[in-house]
Amino acid sequence: MLRYVIRRILLAIPTLIGVLLLTFFLFFGLKNPEVIARQNLGKNPTQAQIQQWLADHGYDKPLAEQLKRSTVDMLLFNFGQSDTTGEEIKERIKKGAGPSLTIQAIIFATGLTIAILIAVLVAYFRGTYVDRFGTLLTVVLISIVYVTYIIGLQYYLGKRLQYGPVWGFNREAGLAKFILIPVVIGVVAGIGASIRLYRTFLLDEINQDYVRTARAKGVPEGTVLLRHVLKNAMIPILTTTVATIPTLILGGLLLENFFGIPGLGGYLIDAITNLDFAVVRAMVFLGTLLTLIGYILTDIAYALVDPRVRLE
Amino acid sequence: MSFFQSDFFLNLVPCCVVALLLFAIWRAGKQPLWAEAYRRLRRNKVAIFALVIIGLYGTLALLESLGTTDKASQTRITLLDRIAQKTGALAVQERYYSAPLATMTTGEANPQPLKAPGQHLLGTDGVGNDVLLQTLKGARTAFLIGGGTLLISTPLALLFGLMAGYYGKWQDDLIQYIYGVLASIPTILLLIALILVLGRGPVQICVALGITSWVGLCRLTRGETLKHRDREYVRGAKALGVSDFGILTRHILPNLLPVVIISLTLGFSGLVLQESILAYLGLGVGGNIGSWGNMIDAARDELAREPVIWWNLTSASVALFILVLAFNFLGDALRDAIDPRLRS
Amino acid sequence: MQSGPAADPSATGFRRRAARFRAAVVVTSVAVVLAAIAGAGCSNSPYTPQEMQGKVQFRTIGADPKSLDPSFSYTVDEALIVDLIYPTFYKYHYLKRDPFVLELNLGAKEPVKTAWPVTIKEKDGKTRTVQGERYSFTLKNDLRFQDDPCFPDGKGRHITAKDVVYSFKRMADPSVQCPVAPYFADKIVGWPEYSEAFEKAKEKNYDKEMEGVQLDPKDPYTFHVILNQPYPQLRYLMAMHFTAPQAREAVEYYKDEYPRHPVGCGPYYLSDYQPKQRLVLTVNPNRHKDVYPSIGMPGDAEAGLLADAGKQLPLTEKIVFNIIRESTSSWNLFTQGYLDAAGVNNNNFQQVFTASNALSPELEKKGVSLRKETEMCVYYFAFNMNDPVYGGLSEKNKKLRQAISLSINADEYIQLLKQGNASPAEWVLPPGVFGYDPSFQNPYRRFDPQLTRAKKLLAEAGYPDGVDPKTGEKLTLYYDNTATNAAGRQSVGIVSRMIERLGIKVVSRPSLPDQFQAKLLKGQHQFIFYGWYADYPDPENFVFLLYGPNKRPGPNSANYANPEYDRLFEQMRAMDDGPAREEVIRKMRAVSVEDCAWIPVIHNVAVSLTYDWVKNVKAHPLASDAAQYRNIDVDLRQSRQRAWNKPNFVPLVVLAAIIVVGSLPAVAVVRQRVNRRVRRADAGGEGDDS
Repeated sequence: MLRYVIRRILLAIPTLIGVLLLTFFLFFGLKNPEVIARQNLGKNPTQAQIQQWLADHGYDKPLAEQLKRSTVDMLLFNFGQSDTTGEEIKERIKKGAGPSLTIQAIIFATGLTIAILIAVLVAYFRGTYVDRFGTLLTVVLISIVYVTYIIGLQYYLGKRLQYGPVWGFNREAGLAKFILIPVVIGVVAGIGASIRLYRTFLLDEINQDYVRTARAKGVPEGTVLLRHVLKNAMIPILTTTVATIPTLILGGLLLENFFGIPGLGGYLIDAITNLDFAVVRAMVFLGTLLTLIGYILTDIAYALVDPRVRLE
Repeated sequence: MSFFQSDFFLNLVPCCVVALLLFAIWRAGKQPLWAEAYRRLRRNKVAIFALVIIGLYGTLALLESLGTTDKASQTRITLLDRIAQKTGALAVQERYYSAPLATMTTGEANPQPLKAPGQHLLGTDGVGNDVLLQTLKGARTAFLIGGGTLLISTPLALLFGLMAGYYGKWQDDLIQYIYGVLASIPTILLLIALILVLGRGPVQICVALGITSWVGLCRLTRGETLKHRDREYVRGAKALGVSDFGILTRHILPNLLPVVIISLTLGFSGLVLQESILAYLGLGVGGNIGSWGNMIDAARDELAREPVIWWNLTSASVALFILVLAFNFLGDALRDAIDPRLRS
Repeated sequence: MQSGPAADPSATGFRRRAARFRAAVVVTSVAVVLAAIAGAGCSNSPYTPQEMQGKVQFRTIGADPKSLDPSFSYTVDEALIVDLIYPTFYKYHYLKRDPFVLELNLGAKEPVKTAWPVTIKEKDGKTRTVQGERYSFTLKNDLRFQDDPCFPDGKGRHITAKDVVYSFKRMADPSVQCPVAPYFADKIVGWPEYSEAFEKAKEKNYDKEMEGVQLDPKDPYTFHVILNQPYPQLRYLMAMHFTAPQAREAVEYYKDEYPRHPVGCGPYYLSDYQPKQRLVLTVNPNRHKDVYPSIGMPGDAEAGLLADAGKQLPLTEKIVFNIIRESTSSWNLFTQGYLDAAGVNNNNFQQVFTASNALSPELEKKGVSLRKETEMCVYYFAFNMNDPVYGGLSEKNKKLRQAISLSINADEYIQLLKQGNASPAEWVLPPGVFGYDPSFQNPYRRFDPQLTRAKKLLAEAGYPDGVDPKTGEKLTLYYDNTATNAAGRQSVGIVSRMIERLGIKVVSRPSLPDQFQAKLLKGQHQFIFYGWYADYPDPENFVFLLYGPNKRPGPNSANYANPEYDRLFEQMRAMDDGPAREEVIRKMRAVSVEDCAWIPVIHNVAVSLTYDWVKNVKAHPLASDAAQYRNIDVDLRQSRQRAWNKPNFVPLVVLAAIIVVGSLPAVAVVRQRVNRRVRRADAGGEGDDS
């Protein structure tokens, strides 16, 4: 098993290097740092000020040095300073990771649980109006833009019904209430796609021979679903959860902005508006790293659950 | 680059997309391979309804793309503009916001009477344009972005997918590596990075979305090609001396088309949604092109007004919702029709 | 779900299991709903109970401050914070207006001005002596910095003149990028050399003295500023945070983090900063003694502005700045009573005030009051005077610009884009600045709906009805802007519509801020919209925007250069206020209005909504330290907040009811299916998979 894990991690390294080279090409090959300097210097900078800025932010170094900066340093988590504020990016990421992960982990766990529950229900009632309604609902849920969810639910749940603060994230005032509405929005926005997917997984399994056998033996439908079908469907369900990472990142971006959660998403949005390439670069790297770790973890989980996977 | 930024090119894209769609439907009806699926699809009322809706949007996009430049005013007047001019209030420009069917403007200190009181079905926006007309015009951008992206990503995905699946070996390794790299960067982050570097504008967005979206289809194509590569008919063709190119285009590709079409249909709706999120992030198509994303983006400030300006957000969201819904339904129906195994 | 090894085939067994399954589902959903209610049960306030009960101001800013370094920070939002931490030699009197009064703050006495001969080295090595000035500033002798780890023992150090001199040196340091450094660079003796030495040296030597900013050898609280020319505006700069005393220890201790660790001696110090979330100022125990003014303008006493006269400042113990990006979020928070005020200095909030002229009854009922204050600013359209089509001083192009100027209707602009909250601008100077002439009417800003005169001028310029006779096509005007959001696009659209009435075609060229700046720098722009806010209430701070030598990269973005105007400017900048100065300003106005490089549009009016629990509210267009004078009626605020924030659970109950009712037929289906299965089982049939 250990050998498999190590091999899987080693396999991810070329990919990571590829990502680093790609971002290097994007940000240094295609973008002139002087433009970044000008943007950040505000009122009418002189040429001397621009040179100074480039030197301060390390953009005046030779290309080899830049290459090192955007590959080796990244791997060592030396993200350097923000182009806009001069802040240590690492420090901000450390600060922002907590809130972001809290919210996203809760959204992920709640979303997964509810999606599986509903998918099982829908599969149980397959062919009836519950199934048809459920399928319709999932398609409807998928077809609404994330932004509309946020604007609409913040207005309705927060401002109209006052179920929680419309904005804020204050540890001393109790985090639960701040998390409530963002989590509801995150779950509702992401659940449609999951239910739809999980329903197909469940139906795929339901048509398998072993299920027929179980039924033929007279095992009741509920038990068949929960004990046999769901257990087997969990394999594809778990392997696709890594696919929800991008949605979670997107959710973080938008939710944090609206609800004032001091996480990484809001940090990235600020970086976009301020054209803070150093921060964007670091965030792309981090996002990639997370995704790769996600892939590795699911592969390992898969190997643990499914004996068909060879460990060599 | 200027050609790609020109109106002509931007209009060409939706036209091509609509033409391709029509062509595909026409061909599909004649192909024996497709006849069965076609028949099943026709029986599916939801699918027909979705097709009609997509057809309507496509027509709107076409009408908005075709037009002439008025010599006198140097402005482009599209067919949609001409129709709007004939239908009363649609083309009447007011001075400011007004609520649906209102007679006075809203939100200014001294509300002024409208030129077309009570005739703006969905009200007017901050520049006084009819929101209904703006919403209809948004269809073009949706097709431009959705279609433009697919025009970029599909050939790329098919080419690489077929190559990787058919040849295997180093070609496969290389292509798998490339899409492995791209797939490991979360889509939205890659999009942000690409657009920040490429700049804002419809073509840049299509390119960026194309780069991020070809991976899925490529993976699918590769997998399917692998399945077909060792089938009897391919071996037969090979034995008969058909070239690789011939095998790929004439034998394998047609067999992949069902899967590809389903994936494209579902992918299109995703792209339209992406555009609106990019607009929200300030990375949208830009101000000179009306889009639903821009309208939703505008709502951020409009909802903080007193009285609330809700009609812009609602119209754009609903228009977007219906189109995406239709595509999703069509995709599902297609899957059911083509791949009966998955029918529930 | 535990069950026996073999499944029970009997119908009753299945019913039991199905019931258990249903029960599990029901229990889970109930648990989720209950958890939601429990979460919502507590208050929706984003603050702690202690904060709510204390004398705390709840305010908002739209973004994280880029920097709280007083030598660098230049935005309005940042000044709200920086000016409370870093007080200056002078400050503006909180209540007095017309004119604005500078009173001593950290200063012990009014500065002493003496004539001072200055030797200037020319480039060719010769020297000459000019008549300069020396100002001697004396600080109070009991000032201390706030307590901070950068000092020994963490105790705030005593402040001397050295700390102000240090601020001057920092301004001269090019790596600090002080935005007002150019104001001093050509006036303070030895500044350029000092600045250059910084640039060349590898190690920055702050021990070296600058010739023009000297410590007094005898009195540690006195320093001298030596100028090579008269510079009456210096006193205003001594009221800007750039000249506030700064601790060298702090700058060297925090290094790159100094912009987020301000160390000052003001009424408040920064006690907590959570990026993207909140920034808290707490009253500084080491602050210098200062009291609320007892004299104001007529009417101030009636307005309750003198109720706290003579009380020790500041009046509240804390200020919480919520960093809220989304205007919808901050507006929602405001209507719930969790923000004391809305609209001050937050650009997003310009959008909110449609209700401005007549406050909506709902808001009025909530105790909201509306305030408007003309800001000391000018917004204008500018042509690039280097542009071949629209620029230049030729008679023909002048007329073209005048025609376009006549087509822009300031009243409509104000109505539609400012909701009536602005006054039309006739020229560069806003009201409140010396030389502003309320009776002046710019002949090229008189809008008539028929555009008769504009069209005539356009024809005289050689473009009848906007058509260029050479090509037979319409003249195109490229409007360069940074409109990437909806509000910006709306404003571009409305202005384009106005100009297009002339027959000219307006093409919007939006670009990112960096590309826009680059365009301006290279002179690739044609027509832009820009604004300028006063640094100080002297006309020089406005008319220099059209001074030829200030061309890009200077602040003269129109690249306007008229020798006559430049000559008048040089004459006017050193004059004392008086009829003679007014006369020169009038001449400058005549020249620039005729050339029409600028189309002045508006002087903005800041609108703010404040709840009645906030006391002592009076806006000041120049000072940003108003928060220390504010007072809060905490009891009133708490009772309001409680009344307005009660969760409504009816929809939740309704939703639950719908789910229950909706699932009833499903239960029936299950029953039916079970029965069928039982019958089939009886008949020995197999289970089906529908």
